[in-house]
Amino acid sequence: MKTEDQAWRSLQAHASAQLRVGFADRVLRAARGPATATWTQLRAHGAAQLRPGFAGRVLRAARAVQAGVPSLSGQFAIGAATAAVCLLAVVYFHSRANRLAEERNLAGWQQLAAEVQEPDAS
Amino acid sequence: MESSSTTELADLVRRAQKGDEGAQRDLIVAYQHRVAGFVYAMTNRSDYVEDLSQQVFIKMIRALDRLQAPAQFESWLFRLARNTCIDQLRRQKLRRIFLPFGDEHENIPEPPGAVDTEELDALRHALAQLRPQDRALLALVQEGRSHAEIAETLDTSVAAVKARLHRAREHLREHYQPDHEN
Repeated sequence: MKTEDQAWRSLQAHASAQLRVGFADRVLRAARGPATATWTQLRAHGAAQLRPGFAGRVLRAARAVQAGVPSLSGQFAIGAATAAVCLLAVVYFHSRANRLAEERNLAGWQQLAAEVQEPDAS
Repeated sequence: MESSSTTELADLVRRAQKGDEGAQRDLIVAYQHRVAGFVYAMTNRSDYVEDLSQQVFIKMIRALDRLQAPAQFESWLFRLARNTCIDQLRRQKLRRIFLPFGDEHENIPEPPGAVDTEELDALRHALAQLRPQDRALLALVQEGRSHAEIAETLDTSVAAVKARLHRAREHLREHYQPDHEN
């Protein structure tokens, strides 16, 4: 019986030797979750990443973005101009195709008429 | 005291809305550190902080005239910050799908000890395990936003915010191990 107690005690001693120093504190910290101070450190670390002159850089970038983007009326005008150019191109190519087809057809008819007239003349 | 600072803020926002560059600069200076901290909590990447914070404030300047209630400026600004970070994380995820080999260059973890303490490393590790939406929720609470303000920011009910916050805190605690070995 005594041997069994000793065995249990040595098992406990072995198990507790696996725990690193400060075990109780670590458990309590994990159970409580991150402290407010840790969150503050996290935010401070993020804030420290901004280089000096951040506000000036943002304002310059915002101005550049605003200058690069056309106004609503400007966008509408660009859209309307693009649509007009496309429409003109469609009309031009359509009429050109029609004219070429008509010329081909006319030439075909003229040739046919000439062939019909030739046997009559002979 | 608090109501006078709220009035001052609303006044500053109104001037910034009218295009007063000095007021816009004051707003950026007043909030840059809080927004940067929020961005870092959301992305866990030091190298994203400046770029994303800049995007947030550019959006702020461009959309400021559409803000109807200047007193709601803070909630509105942090909504912009949250949406900007979530968009960035989504884009990053998509890039990982289409450029699988870019992953090792894209997702460089910060070296252990880069951020001071064991607790801070543990918090960063725990936050990284959460969904971006949950991270945003916890970071908004840390920013001092009330449940009602968060509900408005996320376009949901206060009860839903409380439930989600409870779950997010549980998840954070599950992953928060200050003795975590990197």
